[in-house]
Amino acid sequence: MISTPDPFREARETSLTLPVDVNGETIPLLLRMQDIRKACKNTGDFSSANPFHITLEPETRVRSYRQFPIESDPPEHTDYRAIVEPLFRRPEQPAYAARIEELVRRAVTAALEAGELEVVRDFALPLQSRALTLLLGLPESEAETWISWGVHVFHDGDGGQKGKVLEAYTAAQFERAAREPGEDFFSVLNQARFQGRPLSFEEKQGFANLAFAGGRDTVIGTVTRIFAEAANDPKLLPGIRATPDLADSAVEEIVRITTPLTAISRTCPHDTAVQKAGGRIGLCWASANREERFFPEPDRFQADRNPNPHVGFGFGPHNCLGAPHARLLLRTLFRILAEQDVTLRIQTQELQFEQLGTVTRPNGFQRLRIKITKQL
Amino acid sequence: MPNITYITPDEETVTIQSDEPNLMKAAKLECVEGIDGNCGGVCSCATCHVHVHPDWMEKVGPPGDIELTLLELEDDFDETSRLCCQIPLTPELDGIVVRVADR
Repeated sequence: MISTPDPFREARETSLTLPVDVNGETIPLLLRMQDIRKACKNTGDFSSANPFHITLEPETRVRSYRQFPIESDPPEHTDYRAIVEPLFRRPEQPAYAARIEELVRRAVTAALEAGELEVVRDFALPLQSRALTLLLGLPESEAETWISWGVHVFHDGDGGQKGKVLEAYTAAQFERAAREPGEDFFSVLNQARFQGRPLSFEEKQGFANLAFAGGRDTVIGTVTRIFAEAANDPKLLPGIRATPDLADSAVEEIVRITTPLTAISRTCPHDTAVQKAGGRIGLCWASANREERFFPEPDRFQADRNPNPHVGFGFGPHNCLGAPHARLLLRTLFRILAEQDVTLRIQTQELQFEQLGTVTRPNGFQRLRIKITKQL
Repeated sequence: MPNITYITPDEETVTIQSDEPNLMKAAKLECVEGIDGNCGGVCSCATCHVHVHPDWMEKVGPPGDIELTLLELEDDFDETSRLCCQIPLTPELDGIVVRVADR
C-alpha cells in the first residue's frame, strides 16, 4: 500500500471545521461529508460567484478572466453550464470511447516498448493532453503545445507566468475558430448564446481557462496513482482482467484515495454558522473522502469498494464537468493495463506535498519511475 | 429474466427484461431517460434516483444508511426513494415498477 495518511482525521473527529490561514485570511475548512454535501447544495449561503476565489489560494496573479461556469451560482450557472454540457457528455458515446481506447492502447504500447519510464511526465502528461484534444474536438497535434506547458498550466515552477501563455493561446484559438468554424469547443463557445446574447470575449476566455486548468494536474495525478496502486498490489490488474467491471469501481476508489483537488472555496454573502458575511469557507474533499462512517478502513485502497460515496468529483450543481471524460480515460487505462497483463515495478518515487495552514497533505507524485513489462 | 418497468419524468413507460446485476445497469443498457449512473454503481453520484412503487417497497427494502445520506439531500426525496444501483436485480423483483425521479 502507498502510504498517504489522512492529515485531517484528528481535526475532523473533534471539530466541525479546521481554520487555515491563507495569506492572512482565515478560512474554516468544512471537514465532514454531510456538512460538505449540504453546503454544496446551499448556494445561497455558500456562493461560488466570487471571481478568482474558487481555490483557497486566490488566482488573481495567475489568470485575468473569471472562470465559467464554476465562478457563478444558479440560476446563471445552470445556463452557463448548459452551453458546454453536451460537449462534456460526449464521452458517453461509443465512438468517443473507441477513440480514447485507441489513444490509451498506443500509450501503453509505447510504455511497454520503452520498458522503463517516469510516469508523471512521460505517460500521464502526454496522455492527459492527447485525450483533451478529443474532448475539445481539436487535432491531436495540438497536444504537443500543451505538453510543453508542463504539469500545471498556471505554475510549473515558473512563478505564474504561464497563465499568460494559456490566455494568449486560447485567444488565438477563438480567432481561429471564428475564421474556420467547426464543432470544436472554441467554435461552440463562439456560436453560443447565453440568456439570448452571445458570450463576451471575457466569458469565453473564462470557459477556456477552466477547461485547461481544471482537468490537468488532477487527471495527471490520478493516472499516476493507477500505476502506483497497480505496482503495489500485484492482484489488482489480474482481478480486473478476470472481471472487467471491476475497473468501474476501481476508478471510483482511485479517485477517492487520490482526491487530487484537496479543497474548493465558497464565499458567504451573509453570516452563517461557520463564517461571517464576506468571508470564505473551504469544502475539504480530501477530508470527507476519508471519513470512516462512509468508508471503512478509509486509508486502504479497495478496488471493489461499494458503496463508495466519495466526493472526488465534487458534489451538487458544480460537480466536475469533466468527470465523464476522466472516468472513461481512467477505466480504459485500468482495462488496457489489465488486458495487456503488464507487470509494474516501482524504481523510485517522490511524493508531492501540499500545505494548508499547518496541515501538510501528500498529494500525488512529483516523480514515479517504473519498470513495465509484459508477462510471458 | 425479471421484467422491470421504469416510468420516466416525461411519463414514458419503458418495460424491459434484464439479467443485469442491478436496476441502474439494466436501465443504462436501455438508455432509460433520467438514469445516468455516472459512477458505475457505487452509490457516489446519486444520478440513479427512483421512487419504488409502494406495492414493491417491502420486497425492495429501505435504503442503507450511506445511501440514505445521499437521498435525503435530493429535492424529490420521499419514503419510496432509492438509488437503483443499490437494488440488486433478483427473480423476486420480476414485474417491479419504479418511477424515475425528476432532477
